[in-house]
Amino acid sequence: MPGESKEPILIVEGLTARFGDNVVFENVNFKVYRGEILVVVGASGCGKSTLLKIMIGLQTPAAGKVLYQGMDIVRATEKELLSYRQNIGVLFQSSALFSSMTLKENIALPLEEYARLDPAMTDMIIKMKLGMVNLAGYENHSPAELSGGMKKRAGIARAMALDPQVLFFDELSAGLDPITAVELDELIIKTNEALGTTMVIVTHELESIYKIAHRVLMLDKQAQGIIAEGKPQELKNNATDPRVRSFFRRQKIISLI
Amino acid sequence: MEEIKKEILPQKASTIVIDFSGVTYLDSIAALAFFQMQKDLTRRGADVQLIHLSNEAKGIFSVIHPDALEHQPLKPLGGNEGFTQKVGQASMAVVRDFSDFISFTGELLVAFFHTIRNPRTLRGADVLFYVQRAGVDGLPIVGLIGALIGLIIAFMSFLQLKMIGANIYVPALVSFALIKELGPIMTAILVAGRSGSAYAAEIGTMMVNEEVDALQTMGFDPVRFLAVPKVLATVIVVPILTIYADFFGIIGGMIIGVTSLDLTIQTYITQSLKTIKLFDVVTSLIKAGVFAALISAIGCQKGFEVREGAQDVGRFTTSAVVNAIFMIVVADSIFAIMFYYIK
Repeated sequence: MPGESKEPILIVEGLTARFGDNVVFENVNFKVYRGEILVVVGASGCGKSTLLKIMIGLQTPAAGKVLYQGMDIVRATEKELLSYRQNIGVLFQSSALFSSMTLKENIALPLEEYARLDPAMTDMIIKMKLGMVNLAGYENHSPAELSGGMKKRAGIARAMALDPQVLFFDELSAGLDPITAVELDELIIKTNEALGTTMVIVTHELESIYKIAHRVLMLDKQAQGIIAEGKPQELKNNATDPRVRSFFRRQKIISLI
Repeated sequence: MEEIKKEILPQKASTIVIDFSGVTYLDSIAALAFFQMQKDLTRRGADVQLIHLSNEAKGIFSVIHPDALEHQPLKPLGGNEGFTQKVGQASMAVVRDFSDFISFTGELLVAFFHTIRNPRTLRGADVLFYVQRAGVDGLPIVGLIGALIGLIIAFMSFLQLKMIGANIYVPALVSFALIKELGPIMTAILVAGRSGSAYAAEIGTMMVNEEVDALQTMGFDPVRFLAVPKVLATVIVVPILTIYADFFGIIGGMIIGVTSLDLTIQTYITQSLKTIKLFDVVTSLIKAGVFAALISAIGCQKGFEVREGAQDVGRFTTSAVVNAIFMIVVADSIFAIMFYYIK
């Protein structure tokens, strides 16, 4: 059963992020376990995206470590960072497909760079990845010809090109209609169950969270860090913190009105 | 509304009842006017009642928040600096611009060295694509402008030189001016407008769409991946475009020479070639290459500076062209002095 592992794949220790004098979060500690789907939630401006950017090595924190199999990616050499990046996949909020390339070229890019396969094999892998995200036959389409949901799925196919250990998702269902969002949730669950890929997902969608999350981390702007951690249903039923309760029960916090 | 105001406001009664039973439609402007009137009268001590409001009208009154109407505008985070502060910031921006360009040049050189050592990493198809975009697609306009400039120089100098009977020097003047100065500069300015801007806009849009972030997380160096092919392609094509512009410039001059100066094509060509030395052609090509490097590097650098939004893309595209043209002129001045001493 995915999500049951107790072997951490990523360990975040004492992470602090600042923009100038403005502290985004301070001394954040948590672990991501192999095979689990960890969802990071919190109100806008609490630093979810900053946390994600630090975890994928796009931003340097003011302090702290992110350990991947014992290697601190914050202080990694370029070579170490490169090997880390070959083991992760990222789906950006805007999908970030290269608009000047077809889907095939998008997916082929990491394959050609790192895998060095013969062209026929590369083609087969592209077909397989597109089939996995229900986009079989779309290899010669350009991203502009796809709908928002299709772009996200194509983005997942590209992120999965090198069979990554960890997949990161920024604002998973932002800008998608509910039906497409549900399809995407199903794809994520299916991929996680079939391949055991660890997933770190930033999202606001409560419905999604209940459906896909094995574990939830909640960040808060005022607290400048994590205020809750656990299974989504448990947080909904048992949380005592009004901020956590209001989020999981989708209610306003009365005392703040 | 004005009539209603005229009727109600002078009333001295202590209780004023406004009956809305005949009102079928009330928009927010009218509601706001009644709201203000009610406030004015209440301040004078009158008790104002609005009765028989329809549900729609009640809805409109319910969205008028008295606090919001009197709320002072909050101070925005930026944009309130004084003159001195603005001058300071602008000067700092110039310094920062320059140091950013130097550090980007450094990154670009590192990327180039990496590409030279690992030629397999060069994206050949991209280089060819930009050779086509910046070079082949630019041929018509570069040729046309070159011919017109040649024509204009020939015509203007002919008007002056005919007074002293020195028409025979027109071809030499045209080819000398074009090859030494106008050809490289004019071509560079055209390429800055066509391709420098395109590079900035392209990379800028990729920044906005997180495509550059995606490249990075896939382990690609964005400078090596995006800037190197563009710079290489531009450095290849601009010298060729310059020769092309020179050629058409001389043809433009020849049109005036043959039609107005009574020179034969043969004489025009011999006269043109008389003043051209190999040194001039070589230095002109070196200049063109350096201009090309400046245009493409500035275009790419400005693209990478885009942070978010369409407005940023526009701003940095403009500044790519302006900075490129400025740097072309600065480099040209340096070349003028340098070549004078080398010669």
